[in-house]
Amino acid sequence: MSAIKRIFGIVWALMGVGIVPLVIKQAMKEIAAKPSEENWIFWSIVIVVLMPIIAFSLITFGVFALKGEYDTLEDH
Amino acid sequence: MAQHVSDVSTTEEVTSTRRVIAASSVGTLIEWYDFYIFGTLAKIISEQFFPKDNPTAALLATLATFAAGFVIRPFGALFFGRLGDLIGRKYTFLVTLVIMGGSTFAIGLVPGYKTIGFFAPAIVFLLRLLQGLALGGEYGGAATYVAEHSPAGKRGFWTSFIQTTATLGLFLALGVILIVRQALGVETFGDWGWRIPFVLSAFLVAVSVFIRMRMSESPLFVKMKKEGKTSANPLAESFKQKDNLKMVLIALLGATAGQGVVWYTGQFYALSFLQNACNVEFVQSNFIISIALLIGTPFFIVFGSLSDKIGRKYIMMAGMLIAIIAYRPIYTIMYNDANLKNKVEIVEKKQVTVKNAVKGADSLITTITTKAFTDGTTYKETVKAKFPVDPALKAALPKDKLKPETKKEVTLSQDLYYKMIGLVLIQVIFVTMVYGPIAAFLVEIFPTRIRYTSMSLPYHIGNGVFGGLVPLISTRLVEASRPGPNLPPSDPLAGLWYPILIAGVSFIIGSLYISNKTNNMDVD
Repeated sequence: MSAIKRIFGIVWALMGVGIVPLVIKQAMKEIAAKPSEENWIFWSIVIVVLMPIIAFSLITFGVFALKGEYDTLEDH
Repeated sequence: MAQHVSDVSTTEEVTSTRRVIAASSVGTLIEWYDFYIFGTLAKIISEQFFPKDNPTAALLATLATFAAGFVIRPFGALFFGRLGDLIGRKYTFLVTLVIMGGSTFAIGLVPGYKTIGFFAPAIVFLLRLLQGLALGGEYGGAATYVAEHSPAGKRGFWTSFIQTTATLGLFLALGVILIVRQALGVETFGDWGWRIPFVLSAFLVAVSVFIRMRMSESPLFVKMKKEGKTSANPLAESFKQKDNLKMVLIALLGATAGQGVVWYTGQFYALSFLQNACNVEFVQSNFIISIALLIGTPFFIVFGSLSDKIGRKYIMMAGMLIAIIAYRPIYTIMYNDANLKNKVEIVEKKQVTVKNAVKGADSLITTITTKAFTDGTTYKETVKAKFPVDPALKAALPKDKLKPETKKEVTLSQDLYYKMIGLVLIQVIFVTMVYGPIAAFLVEIFPTRIRYTSMSLPYHIGNGVFGGLVPLISTRLVEASRPGPNLPPSDPLAGLWYPILIAGVSFIIGSLYISNKTNNMDVD
């Protein structure tokens, strides 16, 4: 179980890193296609609020999991 | 004799338990009531304070909606959480209640934009921020306070009463608004009657403050304070120490994020879907949600209590998993059942009424079409076309200004109405599974000295940010599935991908990393 937890740690960390360019690229694409106020507000909320929370928490969580910090939280 | 003393003591404990639960739950319920009346009356508030022709006021309206919903709540969690861990739970969540009630009362008294101009939206915006701040501090305090009074093995049951308050607060808000609107009439309500639900908050809060003032401080906090073990810096201890930070992260990613999206989907997205994608008539759609919520609410207590026996994790994860699997089938049935293309029209019952009225320089043509279907469903379409009487002025207007306004209303047959209630109820059950045990779980994974701070932040990020963004992101996903402007979406259920994705990640993380044994832990 501990091995699986650690391996998944890499997945979470990579997801956290990967989400940043993905979101920014999509935002730039959509705003360039239609630079409306609605688009700006939506992507500002996603980039300023949601993305940093997801990226920071997934990266930190992934690193902790990879280091075995959660190995002791066993059910069985 | 010993038996007698034990019985008396047990009776006293039960009375005290009920008082603790009642005092905490009533205050939290009122806070939710205060928070929801702003959202429920958003349209009127917007007309009174945030006129669309003023861009700054319109921007403030958007910020008031989003900022108080998700940016400010986590700040409130940090600010009041810290206070709660430093000076105590009782006085902190007393303060949040007063701030919330005071802000709500004040919103009811602020003169409109027509009277004081830009000051009106600015003041309302600030008061809305205070509401968000107070809400961020309230929940963690109430959950912590109740949990720290409850015996091991009963925390899930005790704290589940706090969990019902968010739903009941919404209920209370809708009820008060409907009663006042009914009593005064729609016009008077829109004019000044909308202020009554806000002003009423002062009375509700005064009662709640009176009850809470008579309560004693959490016994675990008192003990810790006596022993001099309170935290000197709860924020640093919660988020800078690895052992606590890792629990904050697991609480957020493995529990509250998934819980937040399931909660918002079942309680708010379902209503929006019924009204916008299925075009179900306003009153009928609100009744569908209200009845489902009313029937579903006791399940918060059922699952809270069950989590004392079989563990928090299994119930929360089961709720998330079933929701992930069931959302698309449930919404497909809802969509198909309301879709007129799947029904047989009784052609002879079709009626078309056209009214032509001149209002000032404008002509208003209203076309009302009603249809009946063999399954008992009825449909009403109102098309309002407004244009200048003067043909020269009409020709000068751009085409989009002349586009008629169309309102579609589907009134479901009795059978389909009950079926819809059942389908929404299933979603409310998912909500109760993930939300019922979560307060006890959050309380149990953090130590008493930093509990208020540590549990409040993941809760409000999970609910406020991940959950609060469900309407915004889901609407966006549906819009993105439109093949072209003004064309129907290719996937009307596309909005579900956001809650499914977040709940999916949360389910995997929670299943892998969360322990199911927290219900047996000591919390001191």
